[in-house]
Amino acid sequence: MDVGSAARRWGGAIASSERVRSGLGAAVAAESGLAAADGLCRACVRLLGVDGAAVSVVRDGVSTGTFGSSGALSRRLDELQFTFGEGPCLDAVRDGRPALVPDLTLTTETPWPVFAGAVMAVGVRAVFALPVVLAGAPIGALDLFRHTPGPLGGENLAGGLFAARLATLPLLDLAGGDLEGEAAGDSGEGTREFASLERVEVYQATGMIMAQCDVDPAEALVRLRAYAFAHDLTASEAAWRVVQRQVALDDDSAWAFPDDDPGMIS
Amino acid sequence: MSAERERQVTRAFVSLANSLVDRFDVVDLLDGLTADCARLLDVESAGLLLADQHGTLHMVAASSERTRNLELLQLQRDQGPCLDCYRGGAPVSVADLRTATARWPRFVAAATQAGFVSVHALPMRLRDTVLGALGLFGTQVGTLNEDDLSLGQALAHVASVAIVQDKAATDQMVINEQLKGALSSRVVLEQAKGFLAQRGDLEMDEAFGRLRTYARDHNLRLTDVARAVVAREIPAQRLLDHAATRASRPRRSKPS
Repeated sequence: MDVGSAARRWGGAIASSERVRSGLGAAVAAESGLAAADGLCRACVRLLGVDGAAVSVVRDGVSTGTFGSSGALSRRLDELQFTFGEGPCLDAVRDGRPALVPDLTLTTETPWPVFAGAVMAVGVRAVFALPVVLAGAPIGALDLFRHTPGPLGGENLAGGLFAARLATLPLLDLAGGDLEGEAAGDSGEGTREFASLERVEVYQATGMIMAQCDVDPAEALVRLRAYAFAHDLTASEAAWRVVQRQVALDDDSAWAFPDDDPGMIS
Repeated sequence: MSAERERQVTRAFVSLANSLVDRFDVVDLLDGLTADCARLLDVESAGLLLADQHGTLHMVAASSERTRNLELLQLQRDQGPCLDCYRGGAPVSVADLRTATARWPRFVAAATQAGFVSVHALPMRLRDTVLGALGLFGTQVGTLNEDDLSLGQALAHVASVAIVQDKAATDQMVINEQLKGALSSRVVLEQAKGFLAQRGDLEMDEAFGRLRTYARDHNLRLTDVARAVVAREIPAQRLLDHAATRASRPRRSKPS
């Protein structure tokens, strides 16, 4: 890649490398649900210079907790936040922005003293929590733990933000529940699906489904994705059907049993 | 430049300058700016694409809210004059799209189907950083004249300044945050359009018009109204009723 074009584009200053992005993407694409979240966390440890990683979900009390992790210790550390009711992940979700603590010992007035003390007791010196955003709202966080103090660094931060985007896919699997095993595919599938989700018609369809089913944006996106899977469509193609009123998802039978609902397609 | 056109151009810049002074809504302002482009320049339609931190282009504003038009804009995250303009940091002008079939097969097919035959893409930049591209779509073969091109570029500069509100921003992270703000405003706006379209049995562009009318009549920011509709803090019915009460003065959301 030529240096000039990297400097001209605004992402250039903190771009993650193609190698890191494809490594993270492959980790998500190889599995679905919890296995994909675990794989993504392990890829973070391998590629982003951290010692542990975990993905948590924070949604209005329901299904709140640690989802995927790179290992048992990371999972326990992450879960402490829900035990204590404080921590960088909860801050990242509440504020919708990264909570970065490069040196826990230098933070004189940490907003979460109990959590900080507990993770330092097992030798963690730096914590980085990056929000996971679904349908415009933060629904969880990717937490990165490191034994050594110091900033995450521009390239690793960019890689972490990319990983946090990818983390929405296993979270959708989780919310979709019965879709285990559907998401597997060749490497790059994960990032392709993400591109299909980030589209105007998908946002519009999400809004329509929110009104049809009286659900929040995340749940609406889950239903749209479930319909897409059931009919072997991309999220974008399914969204066009909704936006053009060819299908309404207000009745579960419309998307759960595609063979039984001829009446739903006008 | 004719006296009438000169008045129109001046009015557009005065209105943009006033918006920048007040507590403005970035998506609303950019939508107005693309409408100015479509009205003042020799083009049918205009749209703005912004890059995220991964270099992917996202649609933030358009002179027409018809979903198919928006689709034509976002198709260019994969190929098209706006993507090439963003990558190269220089204008890309195609006087006759039929000559560009080999270069952008999918984009040309979609643009032709939508009735467009010429496209001009102008870079949006802040100093050395390219933020995205302004796409201008014409229904007649031909290049834009010098006046139109420089006016289009001037409007693109205003858009860049509006998006990166802190003009002294040198920190890349600050610029990134402000771009992200504009993009997430658009996400909420599209959700609110869908929500309202469903509740009121409206087309997407009508739903957008209802949101904007309600925001203006109540002196609220468009994004705040969209957010409140999605969060059910403002009942959708109130926006639909609001339109009915002022129906005696019919008004289209978009100047013809």
